[in-house]
Formats: sequence, C-alpha cells, structure tokens
Amino acid sequence: MNKIESTRVGFMQGLEALAEKDDRIMMVSADSMLAMRATGFAEKFPEQFVEMGIAEQNAAATAAGLAIEGMIPYFATYAGFITMRACEQIRTFIAYPNLNVKLAGVNSGVAGGEREGVTHQFYEDIGILRTIPNMTILVPADADQARQAAISAASIPGPVYIRLGSGRDPVFFEHNTSFLPFKINILQEKGNDIALFGNGVLLLRLQKAAEELEKRGIGVTLVEVHTVKPIDVVGITQVLKNCGAAVTAEDHNIIGGLGSAIMETAAENCPVPMSRIGLHDCFGGSGNPEDLLDYYGMSVNDIVEAALSTIARKKATPSC
Amino acid sequence: MTERINRLKTIATQLRRDVVNTVYYAGDGHPGPSLSIADILTALYFDIMRLNPVDPDWKQRDRFILSKGHACPMLYAALARRGYFPPAELKTLRTLGSRLQGHPVMHYTPGVDATSGSLGHGLPQGCGMALAARRRGDDSLVFVLTGDGELNEGLVWEAAMSIAKFKLTNMIAIVDNNGVQSGGKVETIGGLVKLREKWEAFGWYVVEIDGHNMEKMVTMLENAAKRGRASRVDREGMLIVDGQAAPNPDQPVMFIAHTIKGSGIPFMEGNNSWHKRVPTDEEHQLAMSILGGKDLE
Repeated sequence: MNKIESTRVGFMQGLEALAEKDDRIMMVSADSMLAMRATGFAEKFPEQFVEMGIAEQNAAATAAGLAIEGMIPYFATYAGFITMRACEQIRTFIAYPNLNVKLAGVNSGVAGGEREGVTHQFYEDIGILRTIPNMTILVPADADQARQAAISAASIPGPVYIRLGSGRDPVFFEHNTSFLPFKINILQEKGNDIALFGNGVLLLRLQKAAEELEKRGIGVTLVEVHTVKPIDVVGITQVLKNCGAAVTAEDHNIIGGLGSAIMETAAENCPVPMSRIGLHDCFGGSGNPEDLLDYYGMSVNDIVEAALSTIARKKATPSC
Repeated sequence: MTERINRLKTIATQLRRDVVNTVYYAGDGHPGPSLSIADILTALYFDIMRLNPVDPDWKQRDRFILSKGHACPMLYAALARRGYFPPAELKTLRTLGSRLQGHPVMHYTPGVDATSGSLGHGLPQGCGMALAARRRGDDSLVFVLTGDGELNEGLVWEAAMSIAKFKLTNMIAIVDNNGVQSGGKVETIGGLVKLREKWEAFGWYVVEIDGHNMEKMVTMLENAAKRGRASRVDREGMLIVDGQAAPNPDQPVMFIAHTIKGSGIPFMEGNNSWHKRVPTDEEHQLAMSILGGKDLE
C-alpha cells in the first residue's frame, strides 16, 4: 500500500509559504475553506483570505477584480464548480485580460471525486480549460508536487489552473523532488519499444505497468506530463521519435485532456500508433478510488494491454 | 453652481452628439442604452471622479466599471472628451484593429478599468477592486454602473450580498433604471419588481435619483463620494440626500437612477428599436439638428 498524503494540504502549504513572503498573495474561498484545509491560512492571514460564500461565479469575478489591482488571488474549490459554473468568468474576465488569477480545483477525476459521485467528481476540467487562451494547466502527481505547483504558479504570469485530488492521495515522489513547469519529466528510459505518458494519480499505475512490461522484455520510456498547457511539443516529439509508439494515461475523459493534447502534438509532428487510457467518454460513480480506476478502464492491466496492442500496430506502421 | 451645471449640460449634449455620430459612422452599436447614461457619465467623468487622463493607471484614481458594456459608445465618448484618446478615433468603433472594441476591454482602451459586456460582471469585479483599494489603504473609489435588465443575472445578487457583507463603502453603484431591455419591459421580461426593496433587503442604502437632473444628481453623487472617502468615524451621520436618513457607516450606496432610453433625441425616446440600430442619413441629420453641431471634431 502506498503512502497517502493530501494534495489539498500540499497546495495550502505552498500557498502559506508564498503568503508569508508576499502580501499580494490572497486566497479566495467559495465556502471551500474546510474542503481546502485552509483554516490555518485564514487564521494566519486574515487580510489575505476572502470568503465569498457558495457563489463560484462571484468568487471568480471578484478574484479578477483583485488581480486587476495587482493582487495575486488563488481561487480554490471543487474542480467542476470552478471550470463549469465559473467557466465564463474564467474565460472572459480572467483569461482574456490575462490576469494573474490562480485557480485550484479539487476532486478531479474519478479517484479525486471517489465516493462523492458524479456531482462532485470532475473529468472535464482540463478539456474545458485547454480551449481557453492564456491558460497554464498544471497536474501535480501528489501532495508535494501540489505544494511546488502552488509556489510555481505565483511566478507564471497570467492564469494558472492546478488540478488537485480528494485529500487522500497516493504519494509518488520523494519530497522536494524537483518540479519544473512546462517541461516533460522523463522518469525512466529503459528502452524504446513504447512511451508511456501520464500525470496525476495515474503515474503510480503507469510505473507498475512499466515494470510488468519490462518483465515481458519490453523497453519502456516513462514520462510525466504535469504541464498539459502549454504542452511541451519539443520534448514530446523527441520521445515519440525515439519510441515510435505511445500510451497516454490520465484520470480524465479521454476527450480533451492529456491524451488529446499528446495526440494533437503527435499528429502534427510525429504520427505514431497511440492509445489513450482514461474515462471513455462516460460518467463515473461513487466508490473506493482504486476500485473506480480499475472499473473505468484505468487498471495496470488496461495500461499493459494498451501498450501491447499499440506496439503491435507499430510493427505495421512506418515510424516518423 | 449654475456655471458648473451649465458646463456639464453642454458636455452631456456633446457626448450625445458623439454617440450618434459614433454609431452612424461605425455602422453599428447601441445608441438607446448609451443615451440613457449620458448625464450620469458626464457627472462622473467631468465632475465627481478623481482622474488623471495623462496617467490612466494612476494608483490613486477612482475606478469606473460600465457593467452594461453595450453602452460603451457613451463611455468611449466620455473618455475621448476627457482626454484619454483623440475623439476622431470614435468612428473606428467595432472595426478590425480598433482600440474601441464592441464591448469595453481593459488593456485595449486607455481609461477602461475593467472588461465588461457579458452582463452582470461589474459588481463582482468591482467587489474585488474595492477590497484591493481597502487593502492598499487609499481613498480611491470604485464606481459601478449597471443596467436594470442585467439585474436578471443571478451573479448580480451574489455580488450584492458580498459587497454588503464586506461593508465596501468605497464602492458607489448606480443602476441605469431605464425600464427597458433588449426584448421589452424589464418588469415583464425578467419579472424585476420592487428594485429599491430588493437592494435594501440585501443591506444597501438606496437613493433614487432622476438620472437626467444634473444639478440634483451632482449634489448627491458628491455627497456619496465624500462619504466614500471618509473614515468610518466621519461617515457616521453623513447625509447623501436631504430629508432621507443617513446611511449607517458600513452600508454601500446604490443609486437607482430613473432614466429614459434614447434620452435627448425625441424620436429615439420610448422607441426600443434604438436598443441597437444605426441611424439612416436622414435620422442622423435630424439628430444633429436636435443636438446642434454636426461632426466628431
């Protein structure tokens, strides 16, 4: 069993570290203080904490107003209430004027939303935000990356979205492992039969799948893509050239998210056989997060099978 | 006072002329909802607000958000006549490459403090700006002008709740209560009634004004601005309207301005086809003869 830490707590640790040094840092809550584990922040920095009530459009537009005046507000609540209910506020009033508003969405994916069910479980957030100009989209793998993502976001100009989980999130990296936005993170290059691209909670499963594939004599390059927008076209193209086949994995609809971003990159720069792991354009449901990931097609075995079938297609296709 | 008011009345006529010319030459735009705010914007931009057109980003300036962004021909006219950009630029409205977009956009147009046009967003953005002003600790004010039709938007009432909760007395809000929205009467389209009671129930201090009576409007807006810049102790008992109890020192102020869509041009008044319509050559001529003068320069 993997160690569990909270991406929400990690995010808030990052935000507190920022707020200590910079009084322009603010947190905007839509009655999400408890969900965000932000009680400590609100007590420590009462002048930098703004409670808007359960009113996400209001919170997003108010955050825009704060950013117009030079503040750096972080609006944090459930991923879908940000990206769906406040979608227009993000698009027209935050992203269009390229304001320094940071957004953090929890309960992302079936694993992030787990027992809450579909109303509080969001696998469309990245697809929605990816179509909006000026957005940067970060998908931390675990709690410590969430902490680093919160800190990095402050120095990225313009709007940044940080995708967070349930608060009971598996740990992937050692603490303080370097997190560099915008670039892909190659975790291992043990051969070039297949590239596995992934992010967030699925990195652990990708790693297990890589081990399983290696047992079968297949060489795997494993790549973390924590920055979904802007996508690292150069880095991804290089990996595709080396491997000639790829599988993407994300706890998100296979439409619009990481898989789409990498396929778009591949189609224009290095078309190779690919498969996508994720929700196959369906809604999720309540359950234990590990069970949900298995049930909705994101098991270790699903990744292994996808890799094998993709490699098989590779043999029939000339490489780029 | 008379001299002050006469000057403002002359400017208001100039701005009305600019709006008709802008829409006529640009071939697009919303003259009716622009004209209903002619006198309000004149009072704000040429008398009440603390501004520095040479330095549009001056920190201590008062901010203005035109929440009913479709009325931007009037905002652009006020900014041009106040010296933010040359009036000749007004005819480029809504054309490719123009700084005068179809709805106001911050960073594009000198003097535009916030993006607007998608309705209902002036008050919540103003809420953030007023919170930031309070944190800065300066006495600049945030003015927000909304339409009455846009009060259909639920977001407006979310913001109404927050602004009262935060006691943002450095915000002065105005409803352009012309009674008519795109599709017809505000009462019938969205069921908006008892406007005063609604704002009062949300914790605001409400003042009803005639949005075309320059003298009374300037007096009350000036009182509100003085109160908005005052400390909490000094706000105690400060009157906005003679004969109406003073607001409590924590209440934000909402002016409900009774106005006429198309105000100042009789053939447009009461005819809602002018919500969005371009005058013909004859109509343009007629409007110019009513307002006096003939062109943008």
